[in-house]
Amino acid sequence: MNCSKCIQMFDYYSDNIFTWCTNCGNYGIFSAVKRALVAEEIDPKDALLCFDIGCNGNGSDKISGYRFHGLHGRVLPFAAGASLANRKIKVIAFGGDGGTLSEGINHLVHSVRSNYDFTFILHNNENYGLTTGQASLTTRKGKPMNAAPDGVVVEPMNVMEFILGLKPSFAARAFSGDVKHMTEIIRAGIKHRGFSFIEILQNCTTYNAETPHEWYQERVYDISKLKGYNKADLESAKEVSKDLEENIATGVLYEDEDSVDFYSRLANRKGTQTELVDEVKNYEIGNFLSRFN
Amino acid sequence: MTNNRLVIKICGSSGQGINSVGELTAKAIKKLGYKLFGYREYPSLIRGGFASYQIDFSDNTLRSSSKKSDVLISLGRIATHKYLKDLNSSGILIHSLKGMKFEQDEEKFIKENRIKVIFLDAFDMADKLGGKTIIANIILFGLMWKVFAFPIEVVDETVREVFAGNPKYIELDLKAFEAGYNFDLSGVEQIKVPFKKNEKWKNSMIITGNAAVALGSISAGVRAYYSYPMTPSSSILSYHADFYKDTGVLVKQAEDEITAIQMAIGSMFMGTRALVATSGGGFDLMTETISLSGMTETPLVCVIGQRPGPATGLPTWTADGDLNLAIYAGHGEFPRCVIAASDLESVYTLTQRAFDIAEKYQIPVLMLTDKQIAEALFNIDSFPKDSEVKRYLVEGDELKRLISSDRYKFVNNGISSRWLPGSSEATFVANGDEHMEDGSVNEEAVNAKQMMEKRMKKLETLYQELPSPMLYGEETADIVFVGWGSAKAAILDAMDQLKKAKSSQSISYLHFDYIYPLKTEEIMDLSEKARKVVLVENNYSGQLGNLIVQKTGYRFNELLLKYDGRPFFVEDILNYLKKL
Repeated sequence: MNCSKCIQMFDYYSDNIFTWCTNCGNYGIFSAVKRALVAEEIDPKDALLCFDIGCNGNGSDKISGYRFHGLHGRVLPFAAGASLANRKIKVIAFGGDGGTLSEGINHLVHSVRSNYDFTFILHNNENYGLTTGQASLTTRKGKPMNAAPDGVVVEPMNVMEFILGLKPSFAARAFSGDVKHMTEIIRAGIKHRGFSFIEILQNCTTYNAETPHEWYQERVYDISKLKGYNKADLESAKEVSKDLEENIATGVLYEDEDSVDFYSRLANRKGTQTELVDEVKNYEIGNFLSRFN
Repeated sequence: MTNNRLVIKICGSSGQGINSVGELTAKAIKKLGYKLFGYREYPSLIRGGFASYQIDFSDNTLRSSSKKSDVLISLGRIATHKYLKDLNSSGILIHSLKGMKFEQDEEKFIKENRIKVIFLDAFDMADKLGGKTIIANIILFGLMWKVFAFPIEVVDETVREVFAGNPKYIELDLKAFEAGYNFDLSGVEQIKVPFKKNEKWKNSMIITGNAAVALGSISAGVRAYYSYPMTPSSSILSYHADFYKDTGVLVKQAEDEITAIQMAIGSMFMGTRALVATSGGGFDLMTETISLSGMTETPLVCVIGQRPGPATGLPTWTADGDLNLAIYAGHGEFPRCVIAASDLESVYTLTQRAFDIAEKYQIPVLMLTDKQIAEALFNIDSFPKDSEVKRYLVEGDELKRLISSDRYKFVNNGISSRWLPGSSEATFVANGDEHMEDGSVNEEAVNAKQMMEKRMKKLETLYQELPSPMLYGEETADIVFVGWGSAKAAILDAMDQLKKAKSSQSISYLHFDYIYPLKTEEIMDLSEKARKVVLVENNYSGQLGNLIVQKTGYRFNELLLKYDGRPFFVEDILNYLKKL
């Protein structure tokens, strides 16, 4: 085999049985995540997968690698703190449209702005699945939902437009039905230096009949196939991200290849070879005492 | 002078340089060789209101503030009205307020207490010196220096040190000092300082509790500090930022408290040491993460700098009212440790101990301080000995023998093996859901019960190893006080006073640094031997007392509680004893 570490899909398997609905988009997403980790030759022991609360989080024990399954809406600051502490561990965070765009939307704003160096995969299935189908910020207006029997009265948000408005360093979109394409996008996200935002348009077989697998399949196109598309141009990304009804752009919509991540911007960490995890020991404080004399 | 100390209080409104002249006074008095304690009162605003900076100084024994002062220096009318009646009899008021009119009762107070009022038109003088009115504070300082007949040599050096950041003002400040010092004081009796000078204090440090938190955490190997500003903990963030070029500590002002504590638990999970500090309101937001720390057995340390609540409360004042919050915060039942600092030495040591306990038992540790500890100026000649950093992690060849289910393995003392991402092939999930030994979700009754018992077992193990409360004095004393937090300083000072005065009353004090899990042997012992046991707390309901009642059924003979936003002054204790 032509690989140096020979990491295989098998290394990321878990003995636990999946608990998602039949044909849930999560199966495709998990498959793509594993493929991307394997393709990037990341050993499970060098990966930290961080899960929010929601259907995505119920996969936290259905995959290998180091994993943390935390609080609803809070996966981003957790992953930020973890990634800053040890840059040798590859950190990927997962969250749904419920937790990410409601409870934890402040974290999303600041993670994009801070440009922490980790990958975030947003499972956007346009509803709160695990709590049985309430509306999220991406649920279509007028659609009857659990707790909104006469239909949702709020306009849905175009997540990508919101993200691009924050000047991200990496913004990509994929569709849960195309594992091969998702794998490539996640690999690109893993390789990017800075906060890699990946929105996955995900079908939900139980609570979202409006946009099933087939609906997306008929509408998505790969931006890399669009002639002359320049992913370094934020304005182009904003333009192509608008359409969520007819022709839906997927792929790496925007990437700043000169991106400098948060840690690398810190003046007092420049030139330091060790990681924060390597530096825990007793320190002398004598040098700091003169100002108190 | 009362209580074996002399007290200078400098007051005015925010923005008049009260802090800088306070710092100058503290440093200059220290350089003379006296032991001091500094205390600030200020409003939650940037300009106006009233603010004060109080320096108590004495010989070696001094840990707290007096309510009363001997010399009051005032740059503001509101502040003068507020603090005048806190002067001791025969005290001196030095002010710069042209046409200052005292109320009838104030005139009476001045007369009855033989207060000497000295007016110096410092604002006009400042103008003539070509400076801004901001140097009026230094002019009054000069006059005060003369009132005490202090030697002028140390002032030059101190001014140069305090204003080193603003060199162009140094000459002007020295001129301002001279102008004040040369004021004609005929008719005013100079104050003779009766205390012995001690060389050791000349080179000592003047340092706040928050600086000691920052230094204690640096010495304990904290490599990341995450925080959202909130009084009285904000300056820990500033200190870490001030030191960060030399320490290499990652300092991040987070977007909110939830972020700060989540970043901290993320960094701690990965394996470094990260600190978070806040006040009660900010901690309210963090509590879900405290529960997560308990469930995932991820070590976590949070400093809660207390101030009076509820809600915004008195943002810049003090209280010890968040003990219940620390003990009960977070949903569900999980082991934790709550410790409370009481002075500079303890805040330094406990910051280090907090990380040791958190990592050894894989639990959240909450360290309480209060505004009095956080911002008071402590005078110390050296820091306590550092605790050794131990990690309690699986190391070396042991890492190769691990299997995933070792992480939350059912072990007798409840403390399963802990290892870090990247260190072993045996990966696991740290799960906020109830889980099995490898972290995988499990909702079976048998497992849920066993896992809860395993986690809670750590509380028993911790209880066995925690230090007992500290008894100062004899348990057979006439009165035994019991307390925690900054009240300790006033109680110990009162004990010294009584000893000096050869009082027939004997008192002692049982102090809790380690509050939860609560050690009860000493208190049960006291209940049998002591004649009178009095609970002292800087809160309304006697929260430590209630915890003791809850655990032992013991009821205190009396309660001495204070909840007006002010710390315990030494008079609070002495006056209480007088009334008995």
